[in-house]
Amino acid sequence: MNRRRFPWLSYLVVVSGAVLTVVPFLDMVMTSFKGPGEAGTLPYRFLPKAFDLSNYRAAFDQLDLPVLFRNSVVATALITGSVLLTSSLAGYALAKLRFPGRDFVFRLVLSTMMFPPFLFFIPHFLILVHWPLAGGNDLLGRGGAGLTVSVVALAMPFLVNGFGIFLMRQFVIAIPDEVLEAARIDGAGEFTVWWRIVVPQTKPVVVTLGLLTFVDAWNEYIWALLVSTAEPEVMTLPVGIQLLQDHVDPTRTMPIVMAGLVLSVLPVLVLFLLLQKHYVRGIMLSGLK
Amino acid sequence: MTGSRRPGGLSRRHFALALPSALLASGCAAPHRGTGRPGDPIVLTLLSHYASGALRDALQRPVDEWNATHDRVKVRTEAVEFTDLLTTLMVRQAAGQGADIIHPYCLWNGQLVRAGVLRPAPAEHAEEIRNGYGAAAVGAASVGGRVYGYPTEVQTYALYYNKRLLRGAGIDGPPRTWRELEEAAHRTARRDRYGNTLVQGFGLSTYDDSTTVGQTLALLNAAGGRFVSADGRGTAIDSPAGRAVFGLEHRLVAGGASAPGVNVYQAFPSGQVAMVVSAGWWTESLKELMGADYREVGVAPVPRPGAGYAHATLSTGFMLGVNAAGGHPREAWEFLHWLNTERVGVKGARKGAAATRMSALQVSVGSLTGRADDMRTLLGEGGDPNLRPFLDALAYAVPEPNVPGAQQAKSLLRRNIEALWTGQQSIDEALRTTRRQVDREVSRSW
Amino acid sequence: MVNALAPQTAERAAPSPPSAGPAVDGRRRGRRRQVVVAYLFLAPTLLFFAVFLFLPLGFALLLSMSRWAGFHLGDIDPVGLDNFAGLFADGSTFLTPVLTNTLLFALGTVVLALAGSVLVATCVDRLRFQGLWRTLYFLPIVTTVVAVGNVWKYMYEPGGLVNGVLNAAGLGSVAFLQDPDTALPSVVVVQAWASVGTAILVLTAGLKSIPESYYEAAALDGAGQVTVFLRITLPLLRPSLLFVCVTQFLTGLQSFALIIVMTKGGPGDATAVAALEMYRQAFSYGDWGTASAAAFVLFLVVLVVTLAQLWFFRRKGEDA
Repeated sequence: MNRRRFPWLSYLVVVSGAVLTVVPFLDMVMTSFKGPGEAGTLPYRFLPKAFDLSNYRAAFDQLDLPVLFRNSVVATALITGSVLLTSSLAGYALAKLRFPGRDFVFRLVLSTMMFPPFLFFIPHFLILVHWPLAGGNDLLGRGGAGLTVSVVALAMPFLVNGFGIFLMRQFVIAIPDEVLEAARIDGAGEFTVWWRIVVPQTKPVVVTLGLLTFVDAWNEYIWALLVSTAEPEVMTLPVGIQLLQDHVDPTRTMPIVMAGLVLSVLPVLVLFLLLQKHYVRGIMLSGLK
Repeated sequence: MTGSRRPGGLSRRHFALALPSALLASGCAAPHRGTGRPGDPIVLTLLSHYASGALRDALQRPVDEWNATHDRVKVRTEAVEFTDLLTTLMVRQAAGQGADIIHPYCLWNGQLVRAGVLRPAPAEHAEEIRNGYGAAAVGAASVGGRVYGYPTEVQTYALYYNKRLLRGAGIDGPPRTWRELEEAAHRTARRDRYGNTLVQGFGLSTYDDSTTVGQTLALLNAAGGRFVSADGRGTAIDSPAGRAVFGLEHRLVAGGASAPGVNVYQAFPSGQVAMVVSAGWWTESLKELMGADYREVGVAPVPRPGAGYAHATLSTGFMLGVNAAGGHPREAWEFLHWLNTERVGVKGARKGAAATRMSALQVSVGSLTGRADDMRTLLGEGGDPNLRPFLDALAYAVPEPNVPGAQQAKSLLRRNIEALWTGQQSIDEALRTTRRQVDREVSRSW
Repeated sequence: MVNALAPQTAERAAPSPPSAGPAVDGRRRGRRRQVVVAYLFLAPTLLFFAVFLFLPLGFALLLSMSRWAGFHLGDIDPVGLDNFAGLFADGSTFLTPVLTNTLLFALGTVVLALAGSVLVATCVDRLRFQGLWRTLYFLPIVTTVVAVGNVWKYMYEPGGLVNGVLNAAGLGSVAFLQDPDTALPSVVVVQAWASVGTAILVLTAGLKSIPESYYEAAALDGAGQVTVFLRITLPLLRPSLLFVCVTQFLTGLQSFALIIVMTKGGPGDATAVAALEMYRQAFSYGDWGTASAAAFVLFLVVLVVTLAQLWFFRRKGEDA
């Protein structure tokens, strides 16, 4: 490998790949400005004739954006918060506490990652429907709508993540036992040890795990589609925008849908650009296992 | 657009609370069927696909009227797009949130009855339905000889054509036979030098199950054929009539007169399709989309294989039924009777003319009901001449089969005709595969 | 998902026991307290797995051997293995084209993503502004499938970008998503496009862990670039490649969100995949038994494909 010569070929490959990656996004943005009859007609034009904001207005009018946004934010916050909390607690217990059954629990956690999510769509839905004492259900889970009426349903199946626990455990192990022992001798309980030492020490991986979870939760579609079908009140942004296609003037469908997509993609994209180091680290960590 | 907005907003507060209390809080959430307190009105929910535009308004008008004149029972409408209706019906039912009154596509009645979703009509309502509607409408609303609801919208299929495009190709009137149809299709089709279709002679929709299969079944019925056998346990597609229809479509595509990839429902209004077989509901949206250009749209009966064949076409329909899981069946039937049977004066018609609210509703959006007398009253004088062929077809149309598994059978037929159009299957293969797959699906569902 | 690889790592990373405490008595008390605390810390996790992992698995297994319309728990009617038999009966579409489509979809995605990522990752490794490239390649990963699917669906249309480019180059238009011959490959391209960023990242990490001295030694021997790539880079990249392969295959076999957004399984059943069929059988047709049976069959396929890859890569490793 001659690394001194200017790598023309490499530049060619990487730049054309990058163009392939970015152009669809640019097309999305450009289309979102196109006027009636301007998108999807022959011949194709990349740039809009004028930067028309009316599609954004139409997307705002058609979608109940505040509600969609709120549902997406609530579900994402519940999932991210819960995954971080449970992963940190369980990760600490599995890494530093001695108790009978620890290896078994750890293996269990690892094995949970083996089951693909599609196996659970049906039973998860039914479990939420028949959740005892929720949504008008009796103690045996009969008679009502269960948890499906609540925005909590969007988050329920994702509240604990085997990979998150595994990741946290690997990082907690790296904390020297002396530090923990010293705190214990000072009379700190395990909860204090966790909160005062483990949590601060693992901050970088918490940010990483949080970001990974956030992005996945924000973009989740299939489960949200199912729950929103049962209860439109809990619809999330991706589901709402997908439905938008059926409801707008057909000559402007695509531009309005694209405007809605730009609005939904923007928050995650900004967050990613700000925190991408942590995100990238997370992907690397998942690869290093 | 997210369907109903429920008052109370219980779910709204959840996120402010910690998770466990959120679970508890939702535990107290009652299902939203009114308050249940004595003295408060019963609220019936009605789920339909009348989700937007004129359809939504047309249904809302009589519902508002009912709510203004009835204190004890109120009705609230909920709506989703037709493509999501079956999934929504099934998912909400499974979630214990099925609407009290549902408006299913009659094709699904077999599936819904088998799953115990629909409640049979009480004797007096069943009697009313049998006497008030045409045979095709009653048949579509019945499963195993039992009536399950009030037929509402009835659609018959006919041929839409663009007069300007036909004139431009030197053709004076709409085709009456398949040979004329093929000739007109080939003469009107045009392409650019890249192979992009500019004008299709005969549009074949691949938009969804209903439009794709509907046009084929209309042609099949016109050729004297049937999709499902008389006993309802298999398909009769593999017949001379079925072979003739598949052959016709295959020739149209292979000869370049049809380009099944194009969305016909967008291309026809913009003058890019000369002829389409479609249901009557389309008239109203064409009027809206095309403005002044609508005067170029003509409608004629579905062409027949030859002059010797009797007129026939497909009829499909919806009905309003009562959910077996609903808490107030008596009130629901009462409302349906009021909506579908009571006759009220018709504005703008001759003095003393009366029709049901449902008939008036359907006609106001360019559709029909299975009440021929109402239709004659409402469409009597003036009105859009393009609706005539659909009304005439009520007399000779064949109802779509509604056996259990009918929706799957329809999807299977759709897949096979699409494979035929795209050249993946020969006519023989398509007939054979359809028969094998549909026979299995339909027999399994019994 | 990725876990097939995890157990060995787990062994290696097993923690050392806590260092000796001060007093034996206090230690014993501390131990007992630790047991309680540990299970307290693990309680939410274990509870979750009980309710959202084991209960559903059992329930799904029960449903797969029952006939049920989905409404009243009391109506579940056991039918043995009928649902499984039905999936493979004559006239059933489950084996062909559904399962075939699923495998083709996954295989196509893996091949495209792997080829693209190996190419880009090896090239990026020699360039400046690596952070910039990484950011760009990463955009699709953080974008919701609804956006990815709709943008590409629109680009594939006759008046869309892809056909615009083809027309500008003097080529005829292609009805990408409407023609059953091109629909599946077209969706595969999008799935690969959307996942290539992760693969590039993992491979880049793998490349960076190859010691520079290997390359220097090869250069001294006068080895050409191709030889170096085949003899040094690829073998040492094996763990990363395995990871990319396994994860992409898993994702490909079970994902249908993109297909729901872009084609809904059409035209015909050209893009119908197993997970989508399962979803429809349950939530549209109310055939929960068949849907659950299909889910287990797909799970079995996923397991077999994953184990086969592990076996293949391990054997290759022993050969080397």
